Amino acid sequence: MIEALQLVKQFKGVDAVKAISFTAQAGQVTGLLGPNGAGKSTTLRMLYGLLTPNAGRVLIDGIDMVTDTRHARTKLGVMTDNHGLYSRLTAREHLHYFGRLHAMTNDEVESRADELIRLLGMANIADRRAHGFSQGEKTKVCMAQCLIHDPANVILDEPTNGLDVMTTRIVRDVVRELQASDITVLFSSHLMHEVARLCDKIVIVSMGQVVAQGTTEEIKAIAAEDDLEDAFVKLVEQVIPQ
Amino acid sequence: MMAFNVVFTKELRDGLRDRRAVLSALIFPLMAPFLVYFLISTMIDLRSQDKQIEVAVQGIDNAPHLIAWLVEKGLTFSPIEGDALALVGNQQEKLVLIIPADYSSRLDAARTGYVEIVSDSSRTDARAAVSRVRSLIRGYNSEVAALRLIVRGVSPQVMSVVEVVDTEVASKQEIATALLSFIPIYIVLAAFISGMGIAVDSTAGERERRTFESLLINPVSRLQIVLGKWIAATVFSVVGMSMTLVLCMLVMSYVPLEELGLRFQVSPLQVVGMLLATLPLAFLATSMQMLVGIFAKSFKDAQSYIGMLVLLPMLPGLYTTFNPIRTETWMYAVPMLGQHLLLTDVMGGENVPLIGYFLSPISILLLCFVFSWLTAKLFERESIIFT
Repeated sequence: MIEALQLVKQFKGVDAVKAISFTAQAGQVTGLLGPNGAGKSTTLRMLYGLLTPNAGRVLIDGIDMVTDTRHARTKLGVMTDNHGLYSRLTAREHLHYFGRLHAMTNDEVESRADELIRLLGMANIADRRAHGFSQGEKTKVCMAQCLIHDPANVILDEPTNGLDVMTTRIVRDVVRELQASDITVLFSSHLMHEVARLCDKIVIVSMGQVVAQGTTEEIKAIAAEDDLEDAFVKLVEQVIPQ
Repeated sequence: MMAFNVVFTKELRDGLRDRRAVLSALIFPLMAPFLVYFLISTMIDLRSQDKQIEVAVQGIDNAPHLIAWLVEKGLTFSPIEGDALALVGNQQEKLVLIIPADYSSRLDAARTGYVEIVSDSSRTDARAAVSRVRSLIRGYNSEVAALRLIVRGVSPQVMSVVEVVDTEVASKQEIATALLSFIPIYIVLAAFISGMGIAVDSTAGERERRTFESLLINPVSRLQIVLGKWIAATVFSVVGMSMTLVLCMLVMSYVPLEELGLRFQVSPLQVVGMLLATLPLAFLATSMQMLVGIFAKSFKDAQSYIGMLVLLPMLPGLYTTFNPIRTETWMYAVPMLGQHLLLTDVMGGENVPLIGYFLSPISILLLCFVFSWLTAKLFERESIIFT
């Protein structure tokens, strides 16, 4: 379970995030939805502990990310939005490196890596060096890297950004599989249909605050719109000063 | 220390696959010895040339006695025709000695004879020859003058009021050391160049490649990550530095130093001592480079900052080359100066107090830990992680 409690973050006196609260439950897929610059990435970065909130708390399975950072991180798998890889390491070596950093033994890493390579359909690139990987191949490696230690909570920052249909489907399938194994999945997106298709719960942020949260039906009801996209636009725009 | 091991192993493997890093780690250690050989051989050539000076001369028949005297002193002569000024001007001759036709007659009349040396003082290779010819002629002058005085019943000592007697205190070995003072500078350079590729790649490179965030998300202490990267870079630095040192020493045994009347001998024990003396520099170099590297947003950015860093450790070497100082024990504790003194003293065959070996790494390691700690602090800074 991932809990954001009254998170506040300022950059040079400007409020990037003002009092965001939501909970992502185990076995559910929670989507953080918002226009560009709404504060999605800043919120996620506070959740995985690379930004320290000015106020508020982050709890990962009840463990405080700010005061007990390393312990909280062991419960968390993160895929950041930049998909960077070490160009001279193979895909498998990436998994090995990150698994070992999570204090797994060599044997544990090997078997888990094989599992993920199968799950993500990356056998063809497993032993190739990352130099020249396509966007889709990079995403697969990053995804596997974030799941290597079998975390109970997973944060995916814009996982389908810039992907072709085939890879997008693989990502979707993996997310469903995680959900089925009772894992907490939190992912961000600016794509309405992506979120609507996958998520049990949607958290809409705009101008650094949560404007609505709930299932797609609940969101539509809150906005009093029949179409989800219309509801989204209406909710986002109501907090933007004219 | 598990995370340290994981990071260290990964960076070493990554570094060994990095052609840019490996090349820059190897090229210098392989080139430096050749440079040393070339420089010293050229110096030897230049010095031994003045023993065998060939002098172009006009009017050789005008002063048979002078010429015979000079030949006896080791000069050889080749008579030439033509415009002496033009010949020296267009660099066909280093110098031309002109003996006028009236030379003998003036001498016979006990008057001053004149000879002319045509030379170009802007040519460094001619300077030694010119001053040698000039001093020989001066010697001939005082010898003949003395004879003239004796003939007239005057003691030649009347003519010499004060004479300078040179006493050389420096031992041959010390002259050799002064001659070889650029070897320590090379070794320091090697320490800085060899580890640079991987030190920069694992800091600025990590940021440039956008892998930094993913790395920091792992549940390990920043200090262990930094230490792993630092020691991996230091391995490169130590290998490069040791190669430079050993190869330089090896090459030195093939340089014909005896032609200068010098002897250069290093025992294997001395080489070990030199390695021990310079080892701390490798650690210092990489920890400084990582600190600078983490500030830089890209590999190129970092390289331009670090280029300036190389000058820093060379300062004591350059300073002591021009301003020789007497070693005091406390100096071993001064970072960079201590290593330089240890290195030159061991190379010069002097007895280094054992405490020097203990003092030298202490201050360096303290500095290293300060740098690494600062780097680890910067690894936590939000503006560094997200640029």
